[in-house]
Amino acid sequence: MAEYNKKAENDHTKAELHNHGEEYFREKHLMLDPLPRGQMNEMVMESMHTTSWKFWAVFAVLSAIVAYGLVYTWAKMIMEGLGIAGVNRPAYWGVFLVNTVFWIGISHAGTFISAILRVFKAEFRRPFTRAAELMTTFGLVQAGFSIFMHLGRVWLFYWLMPYPNERMLWPNMHSPLTWDLLAITTYLLSSTMYLFLPLIPDLAMARDRSTGWRKTFYKTLALGFRGTEGEWTHLRNAMNIFAFAIIPVMFSVHTIVSWDFAAATRPGWNSTIFGPYFVVGALHSGMGAVIMVLAVVRGTMKNMKYFIRPEHFEAIGKLMLIISMTWAYFFFNDYMVQWYGGDKWTHQLLHFHEAGPLGWMWFAMLIFNVAIPWAVLWNRRWRSTPWIAFIVGLLINVGMWFERYIIIPVSLSINRMPFTWRLYEPGVEIPLGIGTLAFFILLYMAASRLIPLVPVWEVQEGQMAHALKKYGRETVVTVSELE
Amino acid sequence: MADNISLLAVFPDLEPAADAIEQLRALGLTDNHMNVISGIPVTEAMLGRPSQWTNVPRLAAGGAVLGFLGAVFLTVVVPYLYPYPIQVGPQAFVPGPPTVVILFEITMLGMLLSTFLGVFLDSYFPNYRPMEYVKEVSDGKIAVFFICPEESKEKFTKAMTALGAEKVEVAEVEHL
Repeated sequence: MAEYNKKAENDHTKAELHNHGEEYFREKHLMLDPLPRGQMNEMVMESMHTTSWKFWAVFAVLSAIVAYGLVYTWAKMIMEGLGIAGVNRPAYWGVFLVNTVFWIGISHAGTFISAILRVFKAEFRRPFTRAAELMTTFGLVQAGFSIFMHLGRVWLFYWLMPYPNERMLWPNMHSPLTWDLLAITTYLLSSTMYLFLPLIPDLAMARDRSTGWRKTFYKTLALGFRGTEGEWTHLRNAMNIFAFAIIPVMFSVHTIVSWDFAAATRPGWNSTIFGPYFVVGALHSGMGAVIMVLAVVRGTMKNMKYFIRPEHFEAIGKLMLIISMTWAYFFFNDYMVQWYGGDKWTHQLLHFHEAGPLGWMWFAMLIFNVAIPWAVLWNRRWRSTPWIAFIVGLLINVGMWFERYIIIPVSLSINRMPFTWRLYEPGVEIPLGIGTLAFFILLYMAASRLIPLVPVWEVQEGQMAHALKKYGRETVVTVSELE
Repeated sequence: MADNISLLAVFPDLEPAADAIEQLRALGLTDNHMNVISGIPVTEAMLGRPSQWTNVPRLAAGGAVLGFLGAVFLTVVVPYLYPYPIQVGPQAFVPGPPTVVILFEITMLGMLLSTFLGVFLDSYFPNYRPMEYVKEVSDGKIAVFFICPEESKEKFTKAMTALGAEKVEVAEVEHL
């Protein structure tokens, strides 16, 4: 009898677990916890208008870092030449290109979250698509700065533009240098337009609730949007085209960046899987950066706890885990083929990666990119906890920066001519790199006070599409296709 | 036409707005006499309205073609503009794989730029002239604008109010 009672009790508990009330779902899912649209608008506007002294203190510190790291140091390098940077024989590509690849990687997050998840109708994306898209645009700005630093004589950047010079010579459009220019320019323009289009209705919302200079600002950017049937139709069509078309553009950018390396015959670079390996690496660091931004936005901005919930960290955490596994697969694939090939110089390089003076970086890369994400993100509770997710995201980004550092200057430090071997040591690249990081955060902070970070109309649209339905004794979430 | 008046009715939700559109038709108005504005992309099917025409996909296709032609010029035509051939390494004069990369990037750039500009052209953006608008729309309300004979104003107002309109008034143009 006692055994029977215990069994009945267990069955009852199980039944309760499957029979959650509406309150449970409201608390857990933003899409099932609708508020009146006016209230959500007010919450987003309030989050933009509320700034504490801490915000301005951080803003001031970052401005000072940008002034020194980016403006002063870059001006100094322009005046004195690339000689004050650490690049020299045999490593002519250093931290500038590491940062370029890193920032382009960060920029992949916006498109991945906004476009791919939109195409696949992943509903959890709705409240943070804009936060991710902003990262794309601001990340590409830093990538542009980094590559301009690498140019040295930055004022001659227009030599790459496709028009003939005074001797009627055109840039060689078949050169990898122009692939890069075109790919990054196309991606920067596309992602900026893709950021702006869904922003128009929210700018109109902000226009209707602002006064003074903000009113003028939003009125100008909202372009006279009212929300007529025609305007929505054109916008919806354009966003659908963008969502599909920007995905191959995103893949092409980092693939082309990888070809800068893979098309060379250097040991460690000449690999046919560098394209997808780079794309997955970009997604890895990008998703890590998104989760960091979301944790900061949720923790520091007013009302954001309503919009950004543990469910979002949970979903992104799962994606990060899958991407981490994919990155590990590509890394091992690349390593295995090179190791098995038996080329003397490749073996030398692989040994240098693991056991050279920067071997600690190689091991840290694997720990941060693989071991820690796998150890943490499998657990639902851990990956749903914002501060844990933040730390994992941070470590992944450090790990991915190490990966690019190993691929570029460390791999260039040794080659087929041992008499030229020399370990690369960065010089002004360090303050310039820190300057780009500070500028990225600064731009993001400024945007968080000027642009509605949450696409309120998309959230409301999602909330309209979601409902609870009972199947037998179980309540489940259902989603309708509204488009 | 001089006897016509433009009215707006603000509804709290989709359902009464869709009913109102049906009622307006029953009262003799055609779809051309109505316009709906909303804070979320309400589809035509939800409101029982005819499909909206948009040129955005056509403009996107046009932009892609222009981009492709521009890329063909840069990759295939430009090498032949010189009075003497400029050979780069062992590559062919117009090498295939690098040409594909440029063709892809500029085609996509042309398509996406024209898609973006298409929204501007089709929506008449930017437009800072005074227009008929109600701010409640961005709070999630649905506004139905319609043109009706001035002498029937009362009849239309009553019909809209009966269907749940929160307010029915003469639509005024204003600076947004």
